[in-house]
Amino acid sequence: MLENFSFRTIVEYLPLFGQGLVTTVWLSALSFVGALAVGIVLCAMNLQRGWLFRTPAKAYIDAVRATPLLAQLYFLYFGLPRLGFVLPELVVGILALSLNSGAYVAEIIRAGILSIPRGQVEASVASGMTYVQRMRLVVLPQAFKVTIPPLLGQAIVLVKDSALLSLISVAELTRAGQLLASDRFMPAEGFLTIAAFYLLLYYCLKGLATLSGRWLGTAGART
Amino acid sequence: MTKTGMIDFRGVNKWFGALNVLKDITLSVEPREVVVVCGPSGSGKSTLIRCVNGLEAIKDGDLVVDGQRLGDPATNMTQLRTEIGFVFQSFNLYPHKTALENVTLAPIHVRKTPRAEAEKAGRELLAKVGLADKVNAYPAQLSGGQQQRVAIARCLGMRPKIMLFDEPTSALDPEMISEVLDVMVAVAEEGMTMMVVTHEMGFARKVAQRVVFMDAGAIVESGTPDEFFSHPRTDRSRAFLSKILRH
Repeated sequence: MLENFSFRTIVEYLPLFGQGLVTTVWLSALSFVGALAVGIVLCAMNLQRGWLFRTPAKAYIDAVRATPLLAQLYFLYFGLPRLGFVLPELVVGILALSLNSGAYVAEIIRAGILSIPRGQVEASVASGMTYVQRMRLVVLPQAFKVTIPPLLGQAIVLVKDSALLSLISVAELTRAGQLLASDRFMPAEGFLTIAAFYLLLYYCLKGLATLSGRWLGTAGART
Repeated sequence: MTKTGMIDFRGVNKWFGALNVLKDITLSVEPREVVVVCGPSGSGKSTLIRCVNGLEAIKDGDLVVDGQRLGDPATNMTQLRTEIGFVFQSFNLYPHKTALENVTLAPIHVRKTPRAEAEKAGRELLAKVGLADKVNAYPAQLSGGQQQRVAIARCLGMRPKIMLFDEPTSALDPEMISEVLDVMVAVAEEGMTMMVVTHEMGFARKVAQRVVFMDAGAIVESGTPDEFFSHPRTDRSRAFLSKILRH
């Protein structure tokens, strides 16, 4: 079976895969930063007492979680130009991933904040701290620690989701696999190679998660 | 002008849903007075002291603390809380901060004390509660008794006028209770105004001027420790005392 498998072609296409990998890495990184920004804003809205901010945040999070990323991507890619916004594919792609992942990030951060025991808030209230002080000094530093592992999990999901951008002709990793598949009619070589690269990215992020866990675990273990 | 105590409850009521958790409470705590609050579980004693610093809001009646009426728009609750230390049953130390940082956090950020000064005071306070060697320890590295002593030092770091203790020894192993009570006795002897929810009769006899007995949300009996422990006046307080003194 393997006699038909052309390692030579893979090597020949390696520069293309390399470029795709680099694109996937930086656009995922950028999207993740965007997702963090979107997530923090959504979470802050969602934690307000009044409905004015909370309702739109909840509606947004539900809408994003209930619909396929592909549909969201197509909406932005094909729908936005009809509404008068013409953006380059890459920008649309990063926007879609940020807006999509942001909804999940918002829920991760919210869970982190809500996981902080009530007594922590009471202790800081009792010492005369304002809302901003107790968030900054007591709640968020602790929430940050419990949030890192699930956030890295979301980053892994985001990297894999970025494959969908190949469908709007962004030259990322999956797109490189598609090119090899269609140019030479070698789908096995093309897609197996990109799978290997995604696996590599996965292990990098997982290693980062382990490292951060060890680093965060040293100071101030939770009681 | 009527004479007011440091903490003045006048006809205070509070409900949790349909449950009347504080029933027409009238109680005045004088400056430098130590009042021990006891009573069966669910009698409202924790709720009573949690109202004093506004962790719980009262429904009606007046509660005046350090001359300021709670719930009054003119009362700055955040400001008032800096004058009131609160010691929790479960310590509630900040797990991501060392013992010293726990003590200095509010003085630095709330009182705006310069860091060096706050740290000097913090070290002195930790030494005072017998933890000079645990300055850089995290709460998870301390025993329950040590954590509670840090929590007391954390309150003292704010130089409060009032200290409230909500069952400070109930979550402790028996052998750690006395180290915490010793610190509380020292604080009381320095003239702190204190309200202490506890069943530690030894502590009450030693430093309390008054014991208040609560049952079902109401103050049933109030008197000096000697009167209360030796000659309880009501059936409910007698029944309660017989349960806690039996062993």
